[in-house]
Amino acid sequence: MELNENNPPDSDGLSEDSISRDGLPPFVSTWKQLYIVMIGTLALLIILFYLFMTHFQ
Amino acid sequence: MNYLDWIVLSLTLIFVVSYGIYRSREKQSMDSFLLAGKSMPWYHVTLSLMATQASAITFLSAPGQAYTDGMRFVQFYFGLPLAMVVLCITFVPKFSQLKVFTAYEFLEGRFDLRTRALTSFLFLLQRGLSTGLSIYAPSLILSAILGWDITWTNIISGGIVMLYTISGGSQAVSHTHLQQMAIITVSMVVAGVMVVKFLPEEVSFTDALHVAGKMGKVNLIDFTFDLNNRYNVWSGLIGGFFLQLSYFGTDQSQVGRFMTGSSPGQSKLGLAMNGLLKIPMQFLILLVGVLVFAFYQFTAPPLFFNQTVVDKIKTTQYASEYNALESQHNQIQATKRPQVLALTDALKRGDEKAIENSRNTLAKMEASVGKVRTDAQTLLSKANGGDTNDVNYIFLRFVIDYLPVGMVGLLIAVILLASMGSVASAYNSLASCTVVDIYKRMVRKDNDSHDYVAASRWATFFWGVFCIFVAQYASRLGSMIEAVNILGSLFYGVILGIFLVAFYFKNINSRAVFWGSIIGEIFVVTSYILDLTAFLWLNLIGCTLVIAFAWCIEKIWPQTGVTPKSA
Repeated sequence: MELNENNPPDSDGLSEDSISRDGLPPFVSTWKQLYIVMIGTLALLIILFYLFMTHFQ
Repeated sequence: MNYLDWIVLSLTLIFVVSYGIYRSREKQSMDSFLLAGKSMPWYHVTLSLMATQASAITFLSAPGQAYTDGMRFVQFYFGLPLAMVVLCITFVPKFSQLKVFTAYEFLEGRFDLRTRALTSFLFLLQRGLSTGLSIYAPSLILSAILGWDITWTNIISGGIVMLYTISGGSQAVSHTHLQQMAIITVSMVVAGVMVVKFLPEEVSFTDALHVAGKMGKVNLIDFTFDLNNRYNVWSGLIGGFFLQLSYFGTDQSQVGRFMTGSSPGQSKLGLAMNGLLKIPMQFLILLVGVLVFAFYQFTAPPLFFNQTVVDKIKTTQYASEYNALESQHNQIQATKRPQVLALTDALKRGDEKAIENSRNTLAKMEASVGKVRTDAQTLLSKANGGDTNDVNYIFLRFVIDYLPVGMVGLLIAVILLASMGSVASAYNSLASCTVVDIYKRMVRKDNDSHDYVAASRWATFFWGVFCIFVAQYASRLGSMIEAVNILGSLFYGVILGIFLVAFYFKNINSRAVFWGSIIGEIFVVTSYILDLTAFLWLNLIGCTLVIAFAWCIEKIWPQTGVTPKSA
């Protein structure tokens, strides 16, 4: 069976909707959105650190 | 230390050890002893991942590193959120699907027993050695404060962790992580606030940052691409990504933490939150180090931060020479304070010319301080022998000299708790690999669960003794946080390469990946010995070489009679 993000194998007896949302925080609706938030946060942190550095140096 | 500090320290340790033992009251099965019965919610997973990574080494070395080298070390963690995304997409579903105890079990299904045994061996070697460093960190504190012999300090601190890890297993480890992280976070914030409070009245928090910034300590971002520069954005994003992916995805001490999640979703969210929180947390720890640096611009720092070594030289024939260097150092520091105050004043006025003048004068003074410190270190080395690196003592010395009664005991307890958290995870993972990948697989295949729990307890004991032994040699290394990461970089890239071949190169078989990884490891170790590149790049090199060699070997010497296995 091919695995994908919304179809974990050990999800005995659960509906597809509840499986795909298992563990997802309320501010996103898919895992893909959560990953985008993580990468966006990283980019934002690099920008903020750069501004912090230039301000204090 | 005051008696109140001793009470706080003792009570905290007794509480955590008792709690760990209390968690072990229930009859343990192999599943509960090694994976906490897969019952943990995401926040337990996140805090357990963070507590495993952030040991006493993080708490001791990182502020010292910021003091001497600035905040650029934060870039080391830039690859972490990217690694967490890959783990959520690939590793968690695979490991959950196969219901494995260790990451290396997966490799036997995909390749063969030989490849599983090789990666398991590399892990045991690397983790056993680096856990020795993690035990050494709090031993360093106790020996510096109490003047204890470092050998006995290692035995006692490493032994305390063995107590509740042997009895409680993974469940005790996960539950104690939650308390440890809460106490650590609160204490770091309090320590940061206290440093600011100890600054002269006319110097604010932002003034302190400006002073540190003008003296080159707020060097958070470096976009220059340089293979020999240890910390820049690119080494952090690329090299750091491979290191973190390998650490979290193939190091059993971390795989064993996220596999405790009650479902794949809880494990994934635990990893994702770790990706979001780790960089800000590391930034704050480094910020404390920079604030300590700013504090010591207004208050004379010691010439050398390890007081035990200083006390020792003062009983030798080199005492007068050292005292002369101390006087010279104090004189420079005395003339430095008015210059730093002039700089803060100029900063408030926005007088660019005065700022530049003060900055140049301070740079010259810093160079003089650096020369005196180098002379002192040479003298200390001549008198006492051994290592004269005091990076790991800087924050510790500040805590002891300036924090109020009670807080010293609490912060020392926090350092010990942080160490206990990572060491406990390591003991548990070393025992998991030894029992699941070696004992259960190769020695006794069909024993009952209780026999394997007993074997896990013996394995924990064995590895505890091994790690304490390694700790005896840790003092010969420089900054411990770097030493741990260098050690990891020697092995992680190759292990990651094996896993990536398993996941993404379905036509490469076991023989090719086995020999590819042996050749790759030889290249990595050779590159390190010949100092060909900064250590973070070794992760990328190791990983790429394994994939490339395995691919070539499969093409040149194809393994016949093997049905390609799906990962």
